[in-house]
Amino acid sequence: MKRLAGILIAILSWSCQEEVILPLGEKEELVPTIEAFWTDQSIYNEVRITLSKDYYDSTEVQVISDAEVFITIPGTDKVIPFIFLGGINNYRAANPQEHAKVGETYQLHVKWKDNIYVSEGVMLEPPIVDSVTWSFEEERLFREEGYYIKVYGKIPFEENNNYRIRVIENDTLKNQREDYLLFDDTFGLKFFEEGLELGYAFEENDKVRLELFRLNKNAFDYLNQLVNLLFNDGGLFSPPPQNPDTNIKVVQGDPEVLGYFAVTPVLARTVLIQAKYD
Amino acid sequence: MSLFRVLTLFFLTSLGYQAFSQEPVFISGEVLDVSNSEPLIGANVYWEGKIESGVVSDLNGKFQLPLIPLPARLVISYVGFERSVRQINKNEADKPIRFFLKPEEMSLDEIIIQERRPDEQVKNMEMGKATVPIETIKNIPALFGEVDLLRSLQLLPGVKSAGEGTTGIFVRGGSADQNLVQLDGAPVYNPSHFFGIFSVFNPDGLKSVDLYKGNMPASFGGRAASLIDVSLREGNNEQIHGEGGIGSISSRLTLDGPLFGKNSTFIVSARRTYADVFLKLSSDENLKNNKLNFHDLSGKLAFIVSEKDKISISSYQGSDFLGLDDEFGLGWTNWVTSANWSRVSSDKFFFDLQGYHSRYSYTVEFDDPENGFEWSNKLSESGLKAIWTALPNSKTQLNWGIHSQYYHFAPIDLEPAPNSAIQSIVTNPKNGLLNNLFFSANHEISSKLSVEGGLRWGLFNQVGKGVDYLYEGGVPGPEVEITDSLSFGTMESMQFYQGLEPRIAFRYLINDQFSVKTAYNRNFQYIQIASNSSAGLPIDRWILSGRYIEPVRSDQVSLGLFHNFNQNRWEFSIEGYYKDLDNVIDLRNGAQVLFTDQVETELLAGKGWAYGAEFLLRKNIGKTTGWLAYTWSRTWRKIEGVSRNEAYNPRFDRPNDVTLVLNHEFSPSWSAGLTFVYTTGQAVSYPVGSYEVDNQSVPLYSEYRNVDRFPNYHRMDASVTWKNSDKGRKWRGSWNFSIYNLYGRKNPFAYEFRTIFNDDINFDASSDGEITSAQPGVVMTYLFTFLPSITYNFQF
Repeated sequence: MKRLAGILIAILSWSCQEEVILPLGEKEELVPTIEAFWTDQSIYNEVRITLSKDYYDSTEVQVISDAEVFITIPGTDKVIPFIFLGGINNYRAANPQEHAKVGETYQLHVKWKDNIYVSEGVMLEPPIVDSVTWSFEEERLFREEGYYIKVYGKIPFEENNNYRIRVIENDTLKNQREDYLLFDDTFGLKFFEEGLELGYAFEENDKVRLELFRLNKNAFDYLNQLVNLLFNDGGLFSPPPQNPDTNIKVVQGDPEVLGYFAVTPVLARTVLIQAKYD
Repeated sequence: MSLFRVLTLFFLTSLGYQAFSQEPVFISGEVLDVSNSEPLIGANVYWEGKIESGVVSDLNGKFQLPLIPLPARLVISYVGFERSVRQINKNEADKPIRFFLKPEEMSLDEIIIQERRPDEQVKNMEMGKATVPIETIKNIPALFGEVDLLRSLQLLPGVKSAGEGTTGIFVRGGSADQNLVQLDGAPVYNPSHFFGIFSVFNPDGLKSVDLYKGNMPASFGGRAASLIDVSLREGNNEQIHGEGGIGSISSRLTLDGPLFGKNSTFIVSARRTYADVFLKLSSDENLKNNKLNFHDLSGKLAFIVSEKDKISISSYQGSDFLGLDDEFGLGWTNWVTSANWSRVSSDKFFFDLQGYHSRYSYTVEFDDPENGFEWSNKLSESGLKAIWTALPNSKTQLNWGIHSQYYHFAPIDLEPAPNSAIQSIVTNPKNGLLNNLFFSANHEISSKLSVEGGLRWGLFNQVGKGVDYLYEGGVPGPEVEITDSLSFGTMESMQFYQGLEPRIAFRYLINDQFSVKTAYNRNFQYIQIASNSSAGLPIDRWILSGRYIEPVRSDQVSLGLFHNFNQNRWEFSIEGYYKDLDNVIDLRNGAQVLFTDQVETELLAGKGWAYGAEFLLRKNIGKTTGWLAYTWSRTWRKIEGVSRNEAYNPRFDRPNDVTLVLNHEFSPSWSAGLTFVYTTGQAVSYPVGSYEVDNQSVPLYSEYRNVDRFPNYHRMDASVTWKNSDKGRKWRGSWNFSIYNLYGRKNPFAYEFRTIFNDDINFDASSDGEITSAQPGVVMTYLFTFLPSITYNFQF
C-alpha cells in the first residue's frame, strides 16, 4: 500500500524531493547492537557487537571487542564460549565444531562492562527444499524483465512458520529494504510447494546463493519491523517510526540494547543463471 | 438541524404569540428566495407596527399569522434579504400569499451568513459550534480549484489537518475516527476521495454544514470528538435549475426543480474526475496504462404530503478506482441513503422520524497467474431515529427520542484467483447494536440566563454472529496463547456496555452584545479505526467495542465569551476547553491488523487529554467578509507500551494555529479570495543516531515518541472570480482562477532518513549500477508549490 500511495501522490501532486540537513538529537550514551546467529552450520555462527553512532557520522561503526560472549543450553552445564576474532571483527565459537541441534534451546549471554544481556531461541527443524529453478520472464507489474528464480519445497509444519530467504548475488548480499524476503503462513504455504518466485531479476551468468532460514517468531518479528522501519518515509501514511523490538533482554546495566539473536537452521543452494536452461 | 433552528427562532420570537393563538382567523402564506424559489426558514412575518405579535416561517417557508382588521401592511424580513412590505386588503385575507425576497443590495448573497440570526452567536446556547455557509466555502481558494468542504473546515479554530493537502481533520485533540461525518443524518465512513486529497461532498448539492466541536445536542452522539452535520439541499419547486463547473481535476453538474407539481422537488448532483484522461497523455508507459478516477452522485427527493407532513429521501453514492496495468485494482465505495419524515403536529409539537443505511466497501484485485487474489471488505450501519419536540411555553423547549443503530463489519475476505498458490483468508464478522435514549431541555430561566440540559443513554451490545477468543491469563497479546474460542449465534449477546452521557450548558447574557457560556459534554464511542498512521487509507480496519476493547469515553468542559459589535456585522469569540479521553487505542510495534481475526492482540489502549483556547474574529456582512482565527492548544496521549509509558503528543498536536480567510467583492463582476495559514509543525520523531544491523545502517530512534517538530507550516492561497453580472441572462457563467501556495513555500510532507548512494537521492542501489559512495542523509518530500488552477462555473 505504501507503494500505491506513493504512486498516487507522485501522479497527483507533482511532488518534489530534495536532500536537506536537519538538526538532530544525539544519544548521551551510545547503544550496543548485538547481532547473533546460532545455526546448524558453523560457518554462520557468529556474534557481532557494535555501538550506535550519530546519524550523520559516515565512519565505520565502532566494534566492541572486549565483551564476554557464550551460549548455554538451559538445564544443562553446557557452555559454548566465543572468542573475538580481530580479522573479521566478530565473535566465533571457540570450538568451530560446535553448532545448533534441532529441538534444543539455546541461551546467548553477553557481558560487556557492567552490562549483561541474555537472549534465547529454539533450534527448529528445517523445511524441505526440493529444487531451485530459473527462467526468463517478460516485464510484469512490479517485476522488470529478467531471469527469475523459483524455489520448490515442502513445509510440513503446523506452527513456527517464519522464514527468511537471503540472497547473495555475485558475492553481494542483497539487503536493500526491497530485497528482504520474509514470509509466514498468513497466506498459506502452498506457494512454496508450487514454486516460490524470488522477486529479483537476475542476468545471465549471475551466480546466486540462496539461504533459507526458519526463524523463531521474535527474530522474524524483528526483521519484519526492521523492514517496515526502512520503508517508513516519515509521511502521513506511515506509522510513527520505532526501533524494532529486540529479543535480547537486559539483565543488568544500561536499559537499551539493539539487535537480535537468531537460532535457525540454514538451507543453502547456489545456482548459476544460464540462458540455455529454457 | 433545520428543525432545531426553526424551533429556536420560533421560541425566541414567539413572545406575544399566545395572545393571538385564540384568534379563529389567520392569514397564511409562504416566503421564498427569489433567486432559486427555495423556502426561507425562519423569516420574520408581522403586521407593521406589531412586531411583537409576529411569527416565523416554518421548514417549508410557510407561515400562519392571526388576522387583524384589514387593510393592513404585512412585513416580511429575513437577514441578508430586502425587507418586503405588502398591503393586504379584505378580499385577500383568505388566499395564500407568496413572498419572494431579494438578497440585500449591500451584501453579497454568496458571502452573507444566511442561515443564522445576526445575533445568534451571542444569544443562542451553542458552544463549540461552527457554521460555514456553503457559499462561503465556494469562495475559499481551493487546491486544484476543487471546492472542498472538509478542507474548508480545517480553517476554523480548533480544527487541525492531517497534513498538506489532505482532508482528514482532528478536532480539539480527537483522532480522525472520532469525528462523525453525516450526510442528511446518515454516517459517511470514508468521507474522502483520492486517498484523502478530496472530500466526497459536491458543494453544489449541499445546503449547509454544521461542525460541533464536542458539545453536541443530546440527540447526537457516538463519536468522541465532533459532529460534522452536512445537509443536502432540496430542489426548488418553481422550475428546472442547474449549476455546475468544469475544473482541472473534475467536472460537476447539479439539477433541481419541481417533481410532480409544487409539492414535490428533486435535486441530483454528479461529479467525476478525469485524471485518467491526463494519464493517457503521458509519455511514460508506466503511467499511461494506469487508471485513476472517482465519481460521486447524490440526490434528494422532497414531498410535502400535507400541511403538516413532509417526507424527504436522500442518497449518495461515490467511488474511487486506482488501476495499474490492468493487473492491479483498488476501488472503494460509499453508499449512503436516508429517509426523513417531519411532522408539525401543532405549533407546539413536532416529530421527526429518520431511517438510514450507510455502507462502505473496498476491493483489491491482483490479476497474477501465480499469486492473484481478490480481497474485499465492507461495513455498514443502519439506523432509525425518532425525535419528539415540544414547546410547552415560550421559555422552554423539550426534545426526546430514541436512536437505534446496527453495525455490521463483514469478515475480511481474501479469495485467491484460480490457480493461485496463496490461501484464502476469512475472518469472523463483527456486529453491534446500539440503542440510545435521549432527552434534552432548553429553558430560559430569566431574560439573561438560559440553561440547556440533556442526557443520552447508550446501550451497546456486541452481538453475534461472531467468535471471541480466550487468552491465557485473560489478556490478549501477540505471544499469548489462545486457550479457547467462543462462538455466538445471530444476535446473541457477546459483550454489553452502557453509559450515560450528560450534556449541560449555560448562557448568561451580559447585554445584547455580550454573553458568557459554559458547557460540559460526555460522549461514548463504540467503534474505532485500528491504525496509527495520521492519514486514513481506504483499507483501514474499523473495529467494534467488545470483550477486550472498551468504548472510548470523552469528557469536555468549555467556557466562552461571545461578543458582537457594529450592528452584528462583526463577531468575536474566545473559547477555552479541556478534554479528557479514555480507552483510546494505538497499535503495537509492527502490528498486523488487516487480516487477523484476533485484532485485539495487536492493540494498546490508554488515555488522552487536550486543552486549548480558540479566538475567532469574523465579519459576515459587507463587501469584505471572512475571519481571523487563532488557536493555542495541546494534545496528549498516554498509552502503556508507547513512549516508555510516558505522555506524548500525537502528530497533529500543533500548539499555534493562525488562519486568515478573506473574501472581497470589488464589483458585481469581480471578487477575490485570500487564505493564509500558519501552524506549528507536526510532532514527529527524528533519529538520534544510527546503528548497523544486517550489514546496513539503520536510523536509531529515541524511545520517546514525537519529541521533534517539522518546521512551522505556512501557506497563502488566492483566487479571483469573474462572473457575468447580467442577471437577466438565463445562462450565467463565472471563471475562477486560483493559486494554491502562492509564494511557493516548501512545506515538508515527509522527511525520510535513509542512506543516499552516489550523492544522488534518486539512485536505486538495487538496480542503478555500481555504488561509489554511501552516506546517511535526509530526503524531504514537499507537495503543491505554487499550484494554479482554473475552473469555469455556470448556472442556468
